[in-house]
Amino acid sequence: MALPNLLRLIYRNMAVNTDPGSLVILIGLPGMYLVFFGFGFASLASSSQPGTSYLSFLTPGIMAFQVVMAGTVGGGILWADRRWGMLSQLLSGPFTRLEYLLGIMLTSLLFGLGGALVMLGIADALLGSVPIQPLALAVIFGSITVGSIFFGALMLLLAAMLKSNTAYNSVQILLIFVVNFASTVFYPLSSGLPLALRILFEVNPLTYVSDAVRGAYLGTFSAIDGFQLLVLLAETGAVLFLAVRSYMRSDLSYE
Amino acid sequence: MRPPRWSPEASATGAHPLWAGTEVHRALFAPRSTVANSGATEPVVFAEALRHTYDRRRFALDGVSFTVRRGEVFGLLGRNGAGKSTLIKAMTTLIRPTSGTLRILGLDPARDGRKIRSRIGVVQQSESFDFTTVQGNLDVYGVLWGIPTAERKRRREQLLAQFDLGEVRKRRAFDLSGGQKRRVQVAREFMHDMEILFLDEPTVGLDVIMRRTLLDAIRQEVRRGLTVVFTTHNLEEADYLCDRVAVIDEGRILVLDDLENLKRLYGGKKTIEVTVGDGSAARFFSSLTEGLGSRGSVRATGGSAVILTDDPRGALATIVALSQSLGVQLEWLNVRVNTLEDVFLRSVQHGGDAHGTA
Repeated sequence: MALPNLLRLIYRNMAVNTDPGSLVILIGLPGMYLVFFGFGFASLASSSQPGTSYLSFLTPGIMAFQVVMAGTVGGGILWADRRWGMLSQLLSGPFTRLEYLLGIMLTSLLFGLGGALVMLGIADALLGSVPIQPLALAVIFGSITVGSIFFGALMLLLAAMLKSNTAYNSVQILLIFVVNFASTVFYPLSSGLPLALRILFEVNPLTYVSDAVRGAYLGTFSAIDGFQLLVLLAETGAVLFLAVRSYMRSDLSYE
Repeated sequence: MRPPRWSPEASATGAHPLWAGTEVHRALFAPRSTVANSGATEPVVFAEALRHTYDRRRFALDGVSFTVRRGEVFGLLGRNGAGKSTLIKAMTTLIRPTSGTLRILGLDPARDGRKIRSRIGVVQQSESFDFTTVQGNLDVYGVLWGIPTAERKRRREQLLAQFDLGEVRKRRAFDLSGGQKRRVQVAREFMHDMEILFLDEPTVGLDVIMRRTLLDAIRQEVRRGLTVVFTTHNLEEADYLCDRVAVIDEGRILVLDDLENLKRLYGGKKTIEVTVGDGSAARFFSSLTEGLGSRGSVRATGGSAVILTDDPRGALATIVALSQSLGVQLEWLNVRVNTLEDVFLRSVQHGGDAHGTA
């Protein structure tokens, strides 16, 4: 039996984005963060949670970071498909624009969830198995789902708006660095931070994902984490709306 | 008198002065009840008064009307920017025409886009590949079209062999030469079944042998019942492949007919090319225009001229006699049989009046 259109598109997105080079970037880079930073900074950093090592603190952060990497997959697919003619080729086939977009979003999501699982596996190998309750697991993967959709939509918005390769790559790399390092992925939000940086941390959606995943992973999930997730949901809706609108209005190619 | 442009109204009523009453015209526009197999002549593409603008100032399509019949190879000839690709995009549902009527396989692209797209194939003018190997590109495309695994492998192997891609099957499509890429793009489209294949300049970048291989492959599919709509700059391949051609320029169809009919109607005159020494050219061509009178038209540029005439023997005698009487040295003299290129050039230069009498 033939697969439904959406699954065929997801298969295609996965097939053309899982070459060794792409996987090194998508999985290897966060994995290296986890190993090198986790051990390298362990002697310097004292975890904000008593009885928790820096590696334990970092693991949920790196799991959350996968949502940004997942977003770059989604944006990259749209950008490349427009640049290299596959968008118009696919849309002259039996697919609708909406199916194509959903295909990208779900591919991003699979990369986000898959990447988080791999990070969890690496952490388990380094720390020994950490028991996680089913509800906590649901919160972790729920947060990563929403975060993947948020960053997937954000990168799609960029891909729909930016035509030059240089512009797209520059903005994407800058965004990854700012979002990544101005969040609670690597370090906790502390009152010692300069005000401007603290604001940047607090409005950064990756902080919300990171806090929620960390809270569930370490068993410290709080009402604030829950509230942040609700804010993230609302922001995701808004960015998704803008991304879909921009994509539906965009040209099929850059010719 | 300048003949009117082709229009469906004129065609339907047999009013076009150039081909009214001809055999081709009768075959094309006979009442359906008189045609043995009415299904075979039902148009798979029907376009009437199509207009499309990208910027609300200039029309990329400006009142285009035509039909394509099942099983034929229909050529769209035109210069760059003539409107060919826009027309292909409209027929493949990638753009919605600003106005006019368009039906593909009897369906309305505005409402039934997906149904139409699932029954057509498209080879775009520009490159389009996935970042994977040649074989991977064919495989992934087969999956996208829902081709079962065993059949997908069979078709892939057949197409790799047919398009001479076996040696590069493991190479990334983006690393191939221009001609190889084009072959991959066309081969990939044959991974799935279709009723109409739209080819937007498919032979660009191909060498002579591969061009012929590709055209033969298309011919083979046509024999199996495929309808092909084909845009090209290359008139030789249009001549080789097409049953009917439409010459399109500035968004309008200038002429549309069976190839042989076009050549006969529009290319009935012979072309004489003549070159004389620059110093005496103006005087010579002026006298030649006078000497030929209504027997031919002279179009001179510098020391050369192209003469269109129904009477090449008489025109040659006039040219030789004039050169002797005026003491002008003839540097080049050539009589040519008219080709599709002549039809194309004349129709474009004269906005549909290929006789050059405008």
